[in-house]
Amino acid sequence: MHSGIAKTFLLLAGVCAVSALPAQDLSQYTTFTVDGKTVQIHGFASQGFMYSGNNNYLSANTTDGSFQMTDAGVNISSQITDKFRVGAQVYMFDVGKLGDYHPEIDWAYGSYKFSDWFGIRAGKVKTTFGLFTDTQDMTFLSTFAMLPQAIYPIDRRDESLAHTGGDIFGTIPLKQAGSLSYTGFAGDSWDTHNGGFIYSLLASGSGINLTKFGGLEAGGDLRWNVPLNGMVVGASYMRQYFSGNGTCEGGACPFFNAGGNGPYWESARNDYNTQFYGEYVHGRFRFDAEHRRTVRDHTIFSGANMNAFDIRAFYVAGAYRLSKHFELGSYYSRGIAHMDSSDIPDNVTHILDKVVCLRYDITTAWNVKVEGHFMNGVGSKFLPWGFYPSVNPQGLVDQTPLLVVRTGWYF
Amino acid sequence: MKNLTFLFVMAAGLFAIATVQAADIKVIANDSVKASSVSADELKRVFLLTRNSLDDGSHAEPVLLKGGAAHEAFLREFLGKTDSALQTYYRSLVFTGKASMPKTVGSDAEVVSFVVKTKGAIGYISSAAIAPGAKTLEVK
Repeated sequence: MHSGIAKTFLLLAGVCAVSALPAQDLSQYTTFTVDGKTVQIHGFASQGFMYSGNNNYLSANTTDGSFQMTDAGVNISSQITDKFRVGAQVYMFDVGKLGDYHPEIDWAYGSYKFSDWFGIRAGKVKTTFGLFTDTQDMTFLSTFAMLPQAIYPIDRRDESLAHTGGDIFGTIPLKQAGSLSYTGFAGDSWDTHNGGFIYSLLASGSGINLTKFGGLEAGGDLRWNVPLNGMVVGASYMRQYFSGNGTCEGGACPFFNAGGNGPYWESARNDYNTQFYGEYVHGRFRFDAEHRRTVRDHTIFSGANMNAFDIRAFYVAGAYRLSKHFELGSYYSRGIAHMDSSDIPDNVTHILDKVVCLRYDITTAWNVKVEGHFMNGVGSKFLPWGFYPSVNPQGLVDQTPLLVVRTGWYF
Repeated sequence: MKNLTFLFVMAAGLFAIATVQAADIKVIANDSVKASSVSADELKRVFLLTRNSLDDGSHAEPVLLKGGAAHEAFLREFLGKTDSALQTYYRSLVFTGKASMPKTVGSDAEVVSFVVKTKGAIGYISSAAIAPGAKTLEVK
């Protein structure tokens, strides 16, 4: 415990020391022209520290204090004509045993706007779904060090973050009634090898080692920019036709002969997500609320078993900008998961989280957040909700207080 | 009673200052912009990067001030956002590939200079500032 407190003060002291350096304007180095076209380069990096009581979280040794919460990205883009733009972003992260600093293409696409009400994107595109799905891996944008994990789990974001395919999008003015913004999307989405679902199956002791998980997804988002300035309400829907392939150790998989590995597959029977959301920003005050339902109904163990999750989660969040440098935020989030499988009927798990965060903007491009979480619930072997048995050999207890300190810098 | 009167006078004074500030800016544009007026909705969508042309087909490229009274008044009057909320909004577009970061400059004079030399540029300055070479747009 003492080492965790010491590490916390060390990080904060380091941030304070570096913040005394004069701010640098990097825009002269990040914008240039090529053949008359303006090209911009932008990037970000964040470093966090997690310190928890009782349970280790997100596959990191957080009860001793862990700095395994790092991410960074860089992008390049250009508005080629008024209607056509291209760009790409590379991203890497390391959270506990996830990510492992493996660089991935976060997005890379071309976008053509025929008109304000109709455009297309093609390539690898961040998925527009709810308020923060497409920006959930860039928490430097948020008031909070961690978005509500019941809806935006760091260890499961591969499942919804981006797709390789295309979008149609546009904004339709409604005169006195505001405007409607829509996005329709379809494409492939694949979990990264160090992504949470593949890791969670291995870490759960199930013996399942997936080499591939994902598939086609399609859906849409419709948001109403209400005539009241600063208010948006919307809804999103997505169907996913995911499948997984890999191997399963004979000893752990009851449906194979003992000894050696057997081939393993699973596939979706009925996977879908719905999300309803609202946001209101007025002056210094911001309010967000979302509800997500995730249904995962799979044939598993190479056809020998079936497993269905019905996860319903919501959060309400508020933030108030106290001054040019300080913002205070809080949220309450709750997730309930019902799991039905052939041999474990109606298993119910939950994750509740009460959060308070103070954000300090050192400069316009650098912030630090100090955030307290008071979590209740630890998931299950098949839906860990960030609490992995592999890093909690002593067993799990219901309550997890968690301190997160996270600094983010961008240009 | 005296305290109530004092509070009323203070509130009226603050309201007057706010009203003066909101009216104390003007929108200017490059000569390539055909329109002599623009709707508040058009102006908002240009500065929120949801469109890069006006209703008359003119290319539109926003330029913003980095701070100051004119900047705060423009954000409050036309965009309904604080500066920090606006910067977060811009970054969410830039880091998802949907837009480029708009040009920001430090003074009215720099806004005028950028607007004059950049096709389609639209900016805002304090109404007392002069803008030789740029046209003033009426906001309806």
